[in-house]
Amino acid sequence: MEFIRNLLNQIQTAIAGLDGGVMAIATMLIRFILPVLAIVIIVRCARSLLREKSEEEIWGQLRLPNGILLDLNYWENVIGRAKSSDVYMEYPTISRNHAALIRDDKANWRVYDVESKTGVIVNGKQIESKEGVAVNSGDSIELGGVSMVFTAADNTDEYEQAASRTRPGQFYKQYITLFYLTLFQILLGLQLCIAAGDSLTMILPVCFVSLIALTWACYFFTCIIKRIAFEIETIGFFLSTIGLSVIATGSPNEIGRQILFIVLGLVFFFIMGWFMRDLDRVKLIRRPIALVGPVFLAITLLFGVRIGGAIRWINIAGMQFQPSEFVKIAIVFAGAATLERLFARRNIFIFLGLMGICLGFLALMNDFGSAMIFFVAYLVIAYMRSGDFATIALSIAGAGFAGLVALASRPHIAGRFASWGRAWEFVNERGGYQQTRAMTAAASGGLFGVGAGNGWFHRIFAGDSDLVFAVVSEELGLIVALAAVAAVVAFAVFSVRSAGVARSSFYAIAACATSAILVFQMLLNVLGSMDILPFTGVTFPFVSKGGTSLVACWGMLAFFKAVDTRQNASFAVRTPKRPKYSGGGSIIYKEPEDTSWEGGDDE
Amino acid sequence: MRKVKSRSFSILILVAIAILGMGFYVGRYIVFGSQWASAPFNQTVFQRGILNVGVVTDRNGVILADVTDGRRTFASNADVRRSTLHVVGDLEGNVGTGALTAFASDLAGFNLITGSYSLFGSGNKVSLTIDSEINTVAHRALNGRRGVVLVSNYKTGEILCMVSNPSFDPANPPDASTISELTDPYVNHAIQSSFAPGSTFKLVTAAAAIEQINDVYDYIFECTGSLEIGNDTLICRHGPHGTLDIERGMRVSCNIVFGELALLLGTEVMAEYTGKFDLSGSISVSGIRTASGRFDDEAADGSIFLAWSGIGQHEIEVCPVTMLQFAGAIGNEGRTARLHYLKRTGISSLFPPVSGRLISRETAVHLNGLLDIPENQTVSGFDIRAKTGTAQIDGRDPHAWYVGYIANPDYPYAFVVMVEHGGSGASVARPVATRVLQAIVNR
Repeated sequence: MEFIRNLLNQIQTAIAGLDGGVMAIATMLIRFILPVLAIVIIVRCARSLLREKSEEEIWGQLRLPNGILLDLNYWENVIGRAKSSDVYMEYPTISRNHAALIRDDKANWRVYDVESKTGVIVNGKQIESKEGVAVNSGDSIELGGVSMVFTAADNTDEYEQAASRTRPGQFYKQYITLFYLTLFQILLGLQLCIAAGDSLTMILPVCFVSLIALTWACYFFTCIIKRIAFEIETIGFFLSTIGLSVIATGSPNEIGRQILFIVLGLVFFFIMGWFMRDLDRVKLIRRPIALVGPVFLAITLLFGVRIGGAIRWINIAGMQFQPSEFVKIAIVFAGAATLERLFARRNIFIFLGLMGICLGFLALMNDFGSAMIFFVAYLVIAYMRSGDFATIALSIAGAGFAGLVALASRPHIAGRFASWGRAWEFVNERGGYQQTRAMTAAASGGLFGVGAGNGWFHRIFAGDSDLVFAVVSEELGLIVALAAVAAVVAFAVFSVRSAGVARSSFYAIAACATSAILVFQMLLNVLGSMDILPFTGVTFPFVSKGGTSLVACWGMLAFFKAVDTRQNASFAVRTPKRPKYSGGGSIIYKEPEDTSWEGGDDE
Repeated sequence: MRKVKSRSFSILILVAIAILGMGFYVGRYIVFGSQWASAPFNQTVFQRGILNVGVVTDRNGVILADVTDGRRTFASNADVRRSTLHVVGDLEGNVGTGALTAFASDLAGFNLITGSYSLFGSGNKVSLTIDSEINTVAHRALNGRRGVVLVSNYKTGEILCMVSNPSFDPANPPDASTISELTDPYVNHAIQSSFAPGSTFKLVTAAAAIEQINDVYDYIFECTGSLEIGNDTLICRHGPHGTLDIERGMRVSCNIVFGELALLLGTEVMAEYTGKFDLSGSISVSGIRTASGRFDDEAADGSIFLAWSGIGQHEIEVCPVTMLQFAGAIGNEGRTARLHYLKRTGISSLFPPVSGRLISRETAVHLNGLLDIPENQTVSGFDIRAKTGTAQIDGRDPHAWYVGYIANPDYPYAFVVMVEHGGSGASVARPVATRVLQAIVNR
């Protein structure tokens, strides 16, 4: 009642003082519209990513002696007696994970002996090499005395299959979501212009128009290369828009630079995505990229500057870079692996060694936050590769011990833990100053914020980076802030959904590890600034100020594009070329399927 | 790939943690959001620690604090400003009981939905239960002396008058460096200090005696002006009163009567009753904790210390506002409505105020009878029941107290006047109360 009465009072006052109040009314309306748009954008993207049909594909078949046909639904198939095998064969002579049958990018198949007791025989010859043996349609493969005939789908089959699969966009048309995003960007830009008042310069509207142009340019580029899905990019642009608003509030002079970083990030994103189209390329470059991790961290340690206790930055030509952001991508490359390698113990030990070196460097750099993020990435990769809970438990125990040592030897980390959860007892001291202001600012924003550009929290040290959640909550309100959180979480759910249908386990593991990095980093940022977790000073993906972080985040999005095997969805996944002569004899049996993928309109 | 898929579900653990973590945050936001937003570093509504939004009015809508051109302004009359300083607050946020500090969240118009935002940054109007005119009368009656004047409606718990001296003009605040702890004008002595209650505490001793000693009205005491207890002597300054009972003892405020009653009751019972009447504890007044009272519960039974305690001397200290609650309860047949000076708003204001029993009905009626003293009838046409107090403070002038209520149902007012080191209750505190009560009944 009191609330409604006050609201009415405010509206009356607004109308009474209309000459000076038009802007204020605009702000009031924008405050309420932005959260609605944010919800609509995120819901549309998330539903589109998670609910779209993605029919199972058939890439080949195995014919058993009794005539039964077993489908090969993946590019990477494990054949074995384990229930979780992709081709499940219940013969006592077949081992649990007996063989792997793997298709590469050029439709060449190889069969590998994975963990068999009795070996794999191809056309009468036992496989000796760890690198497997090539198989072609018509070849016989014998596992544990069971002989079967292998048939690969040919180009015509694959083309027809692709044509019959559902394309994304059944639920929501991408350009309509994008239209909402554009509206969000326009209103946000408008609000920032109103808030800037007399100090408004042309650079602010120019930057927002540039961002809108970039968004649509990317969309049209995707259309030109005949790809449909744009949800991941839309979320990226949504978060980048919020990030741009944070920069516009806190450091308006750097807003132009921020646009430049978004452009760089997009370039990096498209290069990464294009690069990952070809798994052979990726496999070739994995080892060299793995070295990037320790090398970048060593360079940072040697030439870096110490800011706020940690060495994270290096200065090159007056610009600051944070190499550890790219090390995250390198770690993902180094850690993810194709299916046939998952079963080789040796491989994971190399990765473990690499992680050890990286964490050691981070400890020397005093970068506790990054170390935590790397550790979570390690846990996810290690589990996805080994499936072994015991290893994971051991890792956590080891990390706990290392953490205790770190706490004991580093007073500034111990200090953070000492004040953790008790920020209000340290209101004007280290350990509470930033967090109490962050909570106050976040609560001050309410659900709808005080309006972009109207806040004060960005003036607090690291307000626009490590405590950016408070800036977003204060100016845009809790709803938009939670939408940003949901956007990052949506990546994680999408990578789980796509893990099973990726072209290679490499992509699946990479996407999962990336989403773990993004979600965990976001949680450290949000809950750390709100005194629910210890304050570790990490960035909110895409939103926090920091060019390196932004570019790296855009690059990471390519990992999600690489697992998006919905038909014609992603530029990072190749589609079969039109066969030279169509209507050729298909040897793969398919169920007749409804091909009306053009039906089913938006909403 | 199925293996990879099943292992990928581990990511959902992280998703669950994220949802739980954010849920926990939102929960904390709902519970603590108002507190967080009311911190003085919330620059949306505070400027250099002082609220720059919101209007404070008294019970009749008189504006006591406003915002003009983004600057905080106060009432135009200097006496009104001085007399309401401790309920309105100052520019620096030094007066903790001032609305600008204590009710900042209400003034900012903060709520969880729209946060600190208000369209023109105007905030909310907050109404106090204080009558600024009465406050001004009380302030003038104190005439610069240190002290406290409190008046409440004992039926509703509304505080109509709350004045604390020393005060200052918030529009022309004194240089902070000139303020020492002793002359601290930032403290609202009505709520944030405790004082020796002197003879007003005899009401507590009387209440305990009425309930614990069956035929206390039949007890006869002998006042020779002094009473030997061990090696010490309890003095009755107004004595000798000769032979007297508890009724006459109350009227003439005989120390011997109440000293002996305390000795009869014992330390434990006296401490129990002081606590029961909230006088040794602390209560909440519009969300502000009052200063704690004190009772020496280690005084040996039969000692001079216990006798002194019985007459409100020795180590007893009482916060004036809890004394107001006690006096009001006597006038209200033992019941007390929760004291407040921030007007109740919203849905809760539609219901009668929360009240509770402080004194048993019977005891309250007896105390009411004991306070029927001719000297109290200073406002013609109104039945004032009150007790004077003159609290001896070693070496200095005593605190002058006058505590009571009007026993007319249409004028259910309780009051406390306390002049620090002012002299005798009857000659110093009572005239102040008379002026204030006269002003109230004339309104």
